[in-house]
Order: sequence, then C-alpha cells, then structure tokens
Amino acid sequence: MGRSLLDQAARAHGGRVIAALAAKFRDLDLAEEAFAEACLNAAQAWPKDGEPRDPAAWLYSVAQRRALDMLRRRGVRTRLVPDPPPQPPSAEDVMVDDARLIPDERLRLIFVCCHPAVAPDARAALTLRLVCGLSTQEIARAFLVPEPTLAQRLVRAKRKIAQAGIAFEVPGPEAWPERIGAVLSTLEIAYAKAHEDAAGAGQHAGYAQEMLDLTAVLTDLLPDEPECLAFAALVRYAEARRPARLDDTGAMTPLSEQDPALWRRPLIVDAEKLLRRAAGRQRPGPRQLQAAIHAAWCARADLDEPPPWPTVLALYDALLRWRDDAVVRLNRAVAVAEVSGPALALAEVDWLDSTAFRDFGPFHAVRADLLARLGRSGEALEAYDRALALGPAPAERLWLERRRGEAVVRTPLS
Amino acid sequence: MQYALVIYEDEALYGEENTPAWREIFAQHEAFAGELAQKGVLRGGAGLKPTATATTVRRAAGQCSLHDGPYAESKEQLGGFYVIEAPDLDAALAWARKLPMQGDGSVEVRPIIDGTT
Repeated sequence: MGRSLLDQAARAHGGRVIAALAAKFRDLDLAEEAFAEACLNAAQAWPKDGEPRDPAAWLYSVAQRRALDMLRRRGVRTRLVPDPPPQPPSAEDVMVDDARLIPDERLRLIFVCCHPAVAPDARAALTLRLVCGLSTQEIARAFLVPEPTLAQRLVRAKRKIAQAGIAFEVPGPEAWPERIGAVLSTLEIAYAKAHEDAAGAGQHAGYAQEMLDLTAVLTDLLPDEPECLAFAALVRYAEARRPARLDDTGAMTPLSEQDPALWRRPLIVDAEKLLRRAAGRQRPGPRQLQAAIHAAWCARADLDEPPPWPTVLALYDALLRWRDDAVVRLNRAVAVAEVSGPALALAEVDWLDSTAFRDFGPFHAVRADLLARLGRSGEALEAYDRALALGPAPAERLWLERRRGEAVVRTPLS
Repeated sequence: MQYALVIYEDEALYGEENTPAWREIFAQHEAFAGELAQKGVLRGGAGLKPTATATTVRRAAGQCSLHDGPYAESKEQLGGFYVIEAPDLDAALAWARKLPMQGDGSVEVRPIIDGTT
C-alpha cells in the first residue's frame, strides 16, 4: 500500500514541496535530492508506521531535514571533518499535519524554470519535472526524445540556473512583458503535452489538474494580465471537455461530435469568468483568441445545435494576425472545410510547407480527411497510413483506423 | 556575484581612434562606466583596439602557431568588456541593456569564476 500512496503523494505534492525547498535553500539540485530522499524514507516508514495524516507536510518536513544534513555534509567535506551520523526522522516530523505550513513557492519556481536565459527546449521539461513532478522518463516520452538526451538537457538547464545566478524571485512588473511571455509559452507546451496524452485517460491526466492549480496561482499573482487570464480560461475549457474526449471503444471523439452533456459545467463557468475579465482589460492577444475559440465550442448546448464553425473560422482569421504559424493555418483549414467546403481547405493545406509537417501526424490526418471527402480515396488512404505510421496515441490511432476503414469502403473496386 | 559584460559590435562603426566620432562613443562609455562606478558596481573592464591589431596564438597538438588577426572572423567583433558586481543575472542583464551600443550588436553576460570557492 505504501508504494502507491507514496507515488500519489509525490505526484500531488512534489511540485509544492520542491518549490518550497528550492526557495529556502536556493538550490534546485539540493531541493530535488532532498525530496527524493524524503520519498525513500517514506517508502520505508509509511508501511511500518502507517501513512501520515498529511503526507505533504511529512515529506516537506523530512526533506527539509535531509537538505540541512546534505548542506552540513557538503560543508564538513570541504573542511575534512568526518560526516555526522544522519538523524532519523523525529517524532515532530511524524506529527506535523498541516500542509498550510508549506509556503507555496511554485510561482517563483516557474519563473526560474521559464527564465529566458534557460534554453527554450529545456524550459517546459524543467517545469514538468520540478513543478509538476513528472519523471524524466515520462517527459522524454512526451517530447519524443531519448531519455538520456532529456536528462542531459535538464542537468544543463539546472547548471545554468545555478551558475549564471538566476534569481529565485518573481520578477518586478517592469520585466513582466518579457518574462510572462516566456512563462505562458512554456506552460502552453507543457499543457499541450498533458492534453494530447491519450485524450486524458492516460497517466498525464494528473498533471492536467496541476495545470489548473498553477494557472490559478498565476492569475492570483497577475490579476490584470489578460493573456494570463486567457490561458487560465483555455485550460479550464479544455479540461471541461475531458470526459467527452473518448468514446466507449476508447477512440478519440472529435470536438464537433462530443456530447456537450458530458462536459463539466463548473469549469466552463470558471473559464467564462476568466475570459470576461481578460476582455475587460481591452488588450487583445493571441491567447485570448485561442480561449475564445474554446469558448465558442463550449457554448454549444447539445448535439442538435449546429457546430460553431463560422465563428471558429472568423476567430482563426483574427488569430493569424497574431500567430501566423503552420499549426494555426492547419487548424484554420479544418474550419474552412466546414464553412467553404473541402476543396478550398485542401488547397490551403497543400499550400503549407509539407516538409515542415513531414513528421506531424495531425497534418496527414487532416489531409486524409479532406481527400476522402473529395472522393480521392487512394490518396486519402496513403495520408491515413502516413499519420498512423507516426505512432499516434492509442485513442487517436483507433479513431484514425476507423476513418481509414470508412475511406476504404468508399474506394470503388479497390 | 561578478559578471563580465562582453561587447560584440561592428568595429567599423567606431572609425579611427581619436576622430570626433570615436571620441563621442568613448564619451558614452565613460558616462556608462561613471554610472557603474557611482552605483558602486564597477569592478573592471577594458576597451580593445580594433581586430586588425590582434595576433592570435593557436595551440594544437602541443604546438603553438601565430596568426595575424582575431580568434574568430565575423560580422561583429569582440570590442571590450566590463566587469560588474550584481546580485543576480537579471540585475546584470539590466546593465547590459543600458550599455551604449553603436548599432546592432550583442552583449554577452557571463558570470565570473569566484576565486574563493
């Protein structure tokens, strides 16, 4: 029993405990190591003594003690004095039962992990590792890189933070335009990883909850930053739809076919409030438009109501003015197909740089669908096969295989 | 902590030494250094003569050879550096942003090895 409870506790509270330790000791490695040692201690102590009333407080208190031990050992090592014997967890450690005593320093930790001086490809990974408590292996899988590569990226980033003297602080308002952008982009990547995972049924569903918490912390700190509010809204809209993202067979359900009755209304209400607050600041931005696209979908009451494609298309047109990138254009093409027909949409998709999309599954999936609707079944099958060959998540694979099967049926005499 | 602010600029913008244009740039640096000194954060630094005056000692496989010119030929050249005291990277970056530049260029901010540890 200890093992699974410990895993749960580490995942649920790791970010908060590590952030508090890092803020206290100004040392990410020390914080991480001390937390790992506390987890080891827990694995031995909890099955024997019973689980503590408040696992987070237990872990924090033990990790803090371990960190002090490590610092002492480091100090004496340089003075060539033997190590003092390690202290066992005291009765006091075991008694603590109030997680409110742990200061919430996650925001500071996020600003450190997302500092523009940290390599962009390491920021999201570092945030997921330290703030969301994902293992190196899980992150490597999410980013499609070998685990040693990712581990090295993390080591390099932590070394840069320590050696370059990046402050463990939330920056002052004068630095926000630059720093908040970096934080939001990083959280966007991190959240995209959470969202694409097996349509939410998989192991990353847990850190989707973490994203809800983190964005709440961010909006508390920055209540007047419209892009920040909009990102918090976006996460809530997307999480609201999580229960509807898989059908009974475990296949992905496209947004336009999801039953709005399954969506979590309270999250949608929260999202609407946040987006209204963002709009009230009268400073438009790309994340507000993205959240507005989600809002358009979440305004649908039931499947009888027509999908909001014209609104969605208009919002994508506006978004292009902020973010003219290939992924936005690909998403826009999906709306074009519904509003103006698949021929025009296919022309737009084929106009995109296909070499950049060679290994991007959704590009081939969208093309396949458009080709199938135009009766070009042979090409459609080829595109489905390319999408499937890129190793999609299980829920997406099931859906693609089904669509491919429908395209085969439509192929005359083949 | 101490940081070096290492300046890379197109040295052609500086022109010949002691011309009025060069003196104007020099004055900008004097003013910047004066501000650093007044805030008590200036620890050192130097401006370098143009790369045409540089000689590079290259060492390969234990053998040294001499070359006329800078270590790296590029559009922008290492022109000088400041050494400052700053509490953290962001504070050092703030100074780097204020550093007088003549056009496009870069300031590399590097922590300095602390000899006491």
